[in-house]
Parts: sequence; C-alpha cells; structure tokens
Amino acid sequence: MESGLGGLLRPVRGALVMAGALQVVSAVAGLVPFLAVAEIGRRLLAGETSELWTVAWWAVGGLLVRLVTMMASTGITHFADARLQDHVRREIARHLGTVPLGWFDARSSGEVKRAAQDDVGALHHLVGHAITDLVAAVVTPVAALVYLFTLDWRLSLLVLGVLPLFLSAYAVMMRGYPEKMAAHTAALGRINSAVVEFVQGIAVVKTFGQARRAHRRFLRATDDFADFFGSWAGSMIRVEAVASALISPAVMVLVVLGGGTWFVAQGWLAPVDVLPFVLLGVGLTGPVLSLGYGANSLRQARDAANRIGTVLAVPPLPITRDQEPQGNHVRFEGVAFSYDGRTEVLSGIDCVLEPGTVTALVGASGSGKSTLAGLVPRFFDATAGSVTIGGADVRSIDPDDLYRRVGFVFQDVRLLRATIRENIALGRPEATDGDVIAVARAAQIHDRITELPDGYDTVVGEGAHLSGGESQRVSIARALLADTPILVLDEATAFADPESEAAIQDALSTLVAGRTLLVIAHRLHTIAGADQILVLDQGRIVERGTHDDLLAAGGRYAAMVATTMEAAR
Amino acid sequence: MIRQLARVLGAPYAGPLRRHLAGVLAYAVLQGLVFVLLVPVLRPLLRGDTDGAQPWLGVLAVVVLATAVAYWVQAQLGYRLGMALSRALHHRIGDHLAALPLGWFTPARVGRVARMSSTGVVDVMGVPAHLLQPVVTAYVSPAVVVLAMLFVDWRLAVAALITVPLIVLVFRWSARLLAATDVVVDTAGVEASNRIVEFAQQQAVLRAYGRTGEGFAQLDAALTEVDRANRRQLLKGGPGLVASALMVQLSVTVVIVAGVAVAVGTTVDAASLVALLVLTVRFAEPLVAAADLGAALRMARNSLDRMDELLRTPVLPEPSAASSFSSDGSIELDGVTFGYDDRRVLDGLSLTVPAHSMTALVGPSGSGKTTVVRLVARFFDTLEGTVRVGGRDVRDLTTEQLMAQISVVFQDVYLFDASITDNIRAGRAEATDDEVLEAARLARVDEIATRLPDGYDTMVGEGGARLSGGERQRISIARAILKNAPIVLLDEATAALDPDNEAAIGSALAALTADRTLLVIAHRLQTVRSADQIVVLDNGRIAETGTHDQLLAAGGRYAAFWSERTRASGWRLVSGAV
Repeated sequence: MESGLGGLLRPVRGALVMAGALQVVSAVAGLVPFLAVAEIGRRLLAGETSELWTVAWWAVGGLLVRLVTMMASTGITHFADARLQDHVRREIARHLGTVPLGWFDARSSGEVKRAAQDDVGALHHLVGHAITDLVAAVVTPVAALVYLFTLDWRLSLLVLGVLPLFLSAYAVMMRGYPEKMAAHTAALGRINSAVVEFVQGIAVVKTFGQARRAHRRFLRATDDFADFFGSWAGSMIRVEAVASALISPAVMVLVVLGGGTWFVAQGWLAPVDVLPFVLLGVGLTGPVLSLGYGANSLRQARDAANRIGTVLAVPPLPITRDQEPQGNHVRFEGVAFSYDGRTEVLSGIDCVLEPGTVTALVGASGSGKSTLAGLVPRFFDATAGSVTIGGADVRSIDPDDLYRRVGFVFQDVRLLRATIRENIALGRPEATDGDVIAVARAAQIHDRITELPDGYDTVVGEGAHLSGGESQRVSIARALLADTPILVLDEATAFADPESEAAIQDALSTLVAGRTLLVIAHRLHTIAGADQILVLDQGRIVERGTHDDLLAAGGRYAAMVATTMEAAR
Repeated sequence: MIRQLARVLGAPYAGPLRRHLAGVLAYAVLQGLVFVLLVPVLRPLLRGDTDGAQPWLGVLAVVVLATAVAYWVQAQLGYRLGMALSRALHHRIGDHLAALPLGWFTPARVGRVARMSSTGVVDVMGVPAHLLQPVVTAYVSPAVVVLAMLFVDWRLAVAALITVPLIVLVFRWSARLLAATDVVVDTAGVEASNRIVEFAQQQAVLRAYGRTGEGFAQLDAALTEVDRANRRQLLKGGPGLVASALMVQLSVTVVIVAGVAVAVGTTVDAASLVALLVLTVRFAEPLVAAADLGAALRMARNSLDRMDELLRTPVLPEPSAASSFSSDGSIELDGVTFGYDDRRVLDGLSLTVPAHSMTALVGPSGSGKTTVVRLVARFFDTLEGTVRVGGRDVRDLTTEQLMAQISVVFQDVYLFDASITDNIRAGRAEATDDEVLEAARLARVDEIATRLPDGYDTMVGEGGARLSGGERQRISIARAILKNAPIVLLDEATAALDPDNEAAIGSALAALTADRTLLVIAHRLQTVRSADQIVVLDNGRIAETGTHDQLLAAGGRYAAFWSERTRASGWRLVSGAV
C-alpha cells in the first residue's frame, strides 16, 4: 500500500481532481464582476451606453457560473470527505480486529483515539475545505495577473514590486521557525504537565500543605511560556507589522493609483486602463494569508496521515486455519515469551491442562502469571515453543473455533455501551430471552437487572451505571452463555468489589464447574483444592504439585502460605 | 465577547483592552477613508487629468501613511495585550484552581483544565493578536465607505446599503444552519470515534466472543450514522455555505446592475460613476475576510466560555487570617446533610470520633461512607450541619490549619513524577533525611527501594506509573507517617494484592495509625473487628453504631453483613482440603 497522505487519499483522488477543476472555473468566474466594472468604465468613458446592459448580464452570468461550480465542488468534496472518513475509520477498525491482543493497552488506546478522532478530523479539514481554498488562493491571483500583464506588463511589475519586500520580511520572520515552533510546543507541554500534576495531585498537594508550592510550579511554567512567547513574538511583531502593512489594501491602493497616475502622465497608459489595476491589483496580495492557512492544514493532514499509517502498520496476528483440535487438551511445550525480544518474560514452560481439571498459577507480581494465561486465548503468541489445544497449535486454529473453546473472565471488566441483553448474548447473539435470563440468574445478577429502568434493554453506561461487582457478574453471565470448555480466569475477580463479593463468588463457582480451568491466583486459600498448582518465579515454573505436595515440600509455595497467614493475623 | 474577555481578564486589564480596541477602530476608519479617496483620485485620472489627481494623491499618501502607523500601533498594543493576557489568564486560572473545593476535581475535569490552560489560552491570546483587527475592520471600513457614498451618489449608496443587511442575514442564517448540522455531525463523529476506541479496548472480549470486524454492530451503526449526518449536513448546510461564499459577489453584481441602470436611465458624470463602482468592489472585500475568521473566532469564544465558567465556580470561603487553634484531636459531624446536584447523600448525620480512637465506617456502596470522609477533609462544604475537626468548625479554619490536623490515605494514590524520597518528603517539606528514611522504613518502602536500580532516587513516573498499586500505597503511607498529623482518614484498599504487599501494607498502616484518631472506610474484616466504634451507614443515615460484639449480639444489619463477609472470606474457587 502507498504510504502517507497520498495513499490515504487515493480513494477520493478522482473526486478531488474534479473538485479542483471546478474550483478553477469558479475562481475565474469570481473575477467577472471586476472585469465587468472595468468594461463598463471603458464604455461609459468612451460615451457608449448602448451595450452597457450586456456587460451587466456578464456579471450576472459570472455569478451564476460561480454558483453552479461552487455547489458542484462543495458537493463533491463533502461527499468525498464523507466517503474518506468512513473508509479510514472502517480500515482502522478492520485492522484492529487483526492485531495481537497484547498490543492493546493504555498507550495504544490513546493512539487509536487520536487516529480515529483528531487525525480523521484533520483529513476532513483538508478534503472538505483546505484543498478547494488552496486552489482558489492560487488561481485567483494568477488569473488576475495574467490579465493585467496582457494590459501592461510594466505597471503589473510595479504593482508586484511590494511582493519581494513582503517575502523577504516573511523570510526574516520564518528564520529558525521550526526550532522556535518546537520550543513553543515544548513550553505548552510543560504547562500541560504542570497543570495535570497540579490538578490531579491537588488532594495530595492540599492535604500536605503543599498547595502553594505546586501552585508556584504551575505559575512558573506559565510564566516561562509567556516569557518565551513574548520574546519570540516580540522579535517578530515589528517585522510582521511592516510586512502586513506592505501588502495591506491601503498601501496597494496608493501604489496602484500613484503608479497609474505616473504612467498616464507619461502617456504610457490610457487612463481607462488604470481601472483593471485598481480593481484587481489591490486584491492581488489578499490570498497570501489563505495560502499560509492552506499550507498549514496540508502539513497537519500529512502528520495525521502518518499517525494513522502507524496504527495501520501494526503487524497483524498471523492467522492460518489448517489445524482442527481433537478434544480440549491444553499443552504448553518449551514455551518462551518476550515482549521486546530481549528480556524473556516466560521461558521453558512445559505443562498440561487435562480436560475438566483446575490448574492454578501462583507467584509474585511480575512472575509471568498473566502472560502465561494470555497465551491460551492468543493475547500474544509464544516466541518459542508451542501452545496446543487438542493437538492443534493455537496459531493454526481458526480464530472462531479457538474462541468457541477458550473463554476468559478478568478482574477489570468494562462492559460494552450496549444493552445488558446484548452484553450477555455477545457470544451467542441468537440466544433466546430464556437463555439470557437463565444465565443471568445463575450469575446472581438477574434481580439487579430487573430493577434497572429498562430491565434487560437498559444501555450500560447510559441508562444505568453498574458497580464493579455488578459488571463482573454480567461478564460471568456472558461466559456462562458462551459455554466454552476451557476457561482462563483471574481469581482476583472474586474480590474486585467488597460490596458484592459473595455474589460474585457464587457466580464464579457456578461458572467454573466442570470446565478445564486455568486460574491466575492471588489468594492462595481459594485455590487450595486445585488439581495442580504451578509456582512461577521470573518466568519459570519452579514448583508444581497439589497444595499438600507443595506444603510438604517446604519450598516457595509453603513460604508464601506462611506469609499470608502472618498478614491475616 | 469583548465584555466577556474583560470579565475573564479582570479589572486591571480594562485599560489596555480599551486602548487596543481604540487602535483597531482608528485603523479601520482610516482604511475606509483610503477607499473613499479612490473617488476623488480616479475622477480626474479617468478623464486623463493627472494634474487634477495629484493633490488628492498627496492626501491619499498622507492617509495611507496614517493607516500604516495606526496598523503598527494597534499591532503593538494587541501583541502586548496578548502577552499580558497569557500571564493574567494563567494566574487567574491557577489562583482559582488552588482555592476550589477538592471535590471539584474529578478526572474528567483534569483533562479539560489542562487543555484550557495550554491551547485554550493560546486561542484567546489570538483574539487581540490577530482576530479583533480583521473582524472590526470588516464592519467598520464598509460603513465608512457607504457613509461617504451617500454624499456622492445616494442611488448607488442605497443599492450597496440594501445588500448589507442581506449579507449579514445570510451570514447569520448560514452560520446557524451550519452550527446546527455541525452539532449533529460532531456528535456522530465523536460517537464513531468512541466506538472505535471501545472496539479497541474491548478487543479481547469481542474476539473471544467472535465479534471482530463487521460483527460489532454498534460500531457499524455509528459509522453509518456519521455518513448519514455528513450527507444531511451537505443537503441542509450546503446551500448556506454556498450562499455565504457568494454573497459578496452578489452584492457587487447588484451594484453593477444598479450602476448600469443609473447610467442608462439618467445623465451622470461617467468618471464619477465608474469611480463609485470601483469603490463598491472594495467596499465588500473586508467582509470576506471576516467570514473566513468565523471558525477561529468561535474556537476562541468556546475557550473563553470555559474559562469564564471555571472562574465563576464558587470557591470555599476561608477565614482571612488564621486564628489561634489548639486541636483536641477529635472529629465530629453534627446534623450533616449533603448531596451532589439533586442527589441527597447524607441526611442529618451526626457522628463523633473521640481523640485517639478508631471508628470504622461500613455499609453498601452509595451509603455515604466516602462522602463522610471527604467532608472531614473539606472536599466540599455541608449543605446543613457542621463538621468539626479538633473541636473547631472546619469553615473557621484556614486550609493550612485544617490540613495540619489530618493525614489522608486514599485508594487512588497520586505520586508526583519525582524520586521516591521527594514523594515521601511531600508529607513534610522540612523533614530531615533521617526522618524521611525512618518513615520509609516504617512503611516498608525500604524493601521497594533496595529492589530498584536507583534506590530512593528512582523516579516513579507520572502518577507513579512505574510502581505497582501496592507499592504506591506504601509510599503514600510513608508520606502520611512523615506528616505525623493527629487525625488519620483512611480508605482501605479493596483490590487484591499479592501476599507480600498485603503484609507490608498491614504493618505500614499499624505504624501510621498508632495512637492517632482514626476514621476508616473499612473493607478488611480484621480492621472492622478491631475498631472502637463501628458505624453502619445506610442511605446516608446511621443504621447502627457500636462495637463488634455489641452489634453482632444485636443481630441487625451488621450481623448480616458480618456473616456474609465471613462466608466470602472462606470461599474456595475449587473445593478441596486446605
């Protein structure tokens, strides 16, 4: 795929070219009234009043042409814009559906948000407005100049004389602009973090009597910004004022009239030929600013396109569908995993999850429990070794089949902004109301749902706010309905919400019954009855066995149990 | 808008603002005069009478010079005002934020305030720096031109004048039309983006349930809605867009037709008429510029609105000077009623925590536990009733006095992006190194420090991101230990921690709360049991009070809570021998 802005714009390139062409016609039609006035002047001064109405109708005709071309180009760009937005957003969504689950974290969701919102917005501005504005800003003065040059090239040059002056002043202004701009962004960033710290930490700051200090830090950041901006803008403002004054309409009027009078006095120009210069010459420099805006939004769109490109460039999870699991036997063989390719989070993992048994993962935080559990539902793919289900490598199983076999329930559940029914029936949209209610009852959440304003049709997050424990139970109901033979579970789920701890626990007990269970354990006593306990340390399995075996062995597991007992006392 | 700007800036800036405005007005009027002077110069010139044109050319040169000077002066004034504005806005926002009740600071507001103080201020700075001048010029210069035209040829002036209200009306109409459809399009766009973000965040769940790609109906619906909104905007707003872009050309065309009518129907001086027509063309030009600036102006106005709203948010009243105060270390709520918006949270609640005793708050979520603790720390003021800390109404204490009395350990720990030592020292800036290390040792932060590459000098990252939840908690407890305040407000952690952290936090809290007055939102059973007084809250009222044994014997709500929680704590995910 073509990279950057060009690639992204390809679906609408034809439309943009067409809109640009129409805009050229429209810009030229915009000059017609000026020409009409010049023509009227010519005829009036020559004493011919007969053809005057014809000229007036030209003006009207120009207006109509502009009306039609503008409507057409506005329509084309806006439809193109709508199509592009839709295309880019769908492309992002389609791609997100294929990247490894491990890619999604706080940082990447920020990236997605920016790509889907701000960056698509920047493209919208470019396609919807900036391109046609840019065309008009170029075509109008160029067409006017061509006309003026055919009338009298000497006066044209004189009128243009201010431009080099303006441009050199502009060049002076722009000297060191990228560096200054970077410093400007950095200073704004410092304000941003100072205010975030000030506001987020305000409870700490106030309760520890540090309000004044943080306040000072914030004010210092803002004053630094003001100083920086002041000296930068201060050095530019004089040049800027001179440059802007040079191309201001007032100066242009003086130049044109002064030059015109001089040329007429010298006999180089017929008096009536001064008119087009007054009419068109004065406005020649106007679009310079529009050009600046246009270039700016082009730059922004390019940056936006690059950011969208980075999201689209995340390598997708390879999917092959050539193996079919025979049964639900899960096996890890020589599995290693590394996030960054250097430090191994897991290494040399060998273990088997027999159907219908419970395997508990135990270990300090950072020991690799969650990573190991995440390999079964393919949050990540192992960097060495293999994870198989029923003899088939998870990487070779059709994802639909894989997820019919593996379900999971984690601690931080966020429900979809959809109705409760849709949330529960996510895995089986065809489920009947009876099915949904049955699992909701089993998950101890049915009664709470019926209390909601619209019952099962309440939209989560809009019609009702569920507590952590309630959301938890909805997600358990969802897992119950999906009814996967293999389940990956974070045991902390059971303690996520002290208010409804007992209810979540009952729901979980129902859910795990009879399944192949892989559980990430935090409170050791809850998994004491597991068929096998794997103790992880720095990515390796250091002990394995039942609770009794491990206690008797007097190793790391026994020590952890002892610490827990101590903490409870 | 000017008035709002003046209000947000405050009284000291009224003068500079007025001076800048005067400068802009002078420039706009002078520019109008330059255009008017086209007529007396062109009239002789078009007849070939260059000598007749020259004196007026001289006048024109003088006025142009004056215009340039006026431009220079207003640019300087605008620049200076913009700079003053940056400082003034930041200081006013900062001062106001420092004085707002703690309860005002919700996560959603943090982002908004951050944006307001960076890009928002820059938007507003742009008003005097580059927006005010073109906008004022757009209206004042044409007005001068029309006024002058009245004296030369009233018929053309009338033709031009007729178009003015028309232009204004069309601009307004199309702006309103666009604004209305903009809202629809924006809402649809935001909804679609949110759905994409949701789609990304929920990817694990969606995939596990076979709903990737086209399967997520909500996203699809949102995208379709954006497309529909876009098309609707084009149909509804498009005409307005085209009309406003064409208005200026329309008005010029009207005057041309009128001019032709005048020329054909009556006898006029050809040169005058032509000169006037030229003038009309110029007359409409600044209006185009104004239309282009609409978006920037709207943005600045939105920023200004948000600042205005912030600055109008009432702050907590405080006594101007600290009166002498000796605390008895107790907490007392007396007939306290409080609510957020129209939702009543506490209803005539009275509660005393004697000095050096421990009170545990228990109750279902929404019963008002957190609110009680927040009112003691004066996150908000009560609607009715009094909160006393150390025997004094919190409203009679300065923030410093009140905060000297209490240490707060909440669940959402905030650490500054600084070293571990600095974060602990935030508890008491003047503490010695030994005191800091002692507090760290008591909270078992020393174990964290030895594990980290730079020890106590390790930077914790923004908000403490480089540490685990349990580790952040221990640092915040060390901070509270260092502060050594007589009263401790504690919101016990609910999240599961690994056994090491659990044990460490237990001993850290024991060090913090020894011999202090303690008000705790309790989640752990052993905490509840060890309290001198247990207060069971329900719906903003006290349902029961007493010790653990008393309440268990009473067999009421607490007894039910206790048996439920004991059952939960003995839960086994899989049954089997322990």
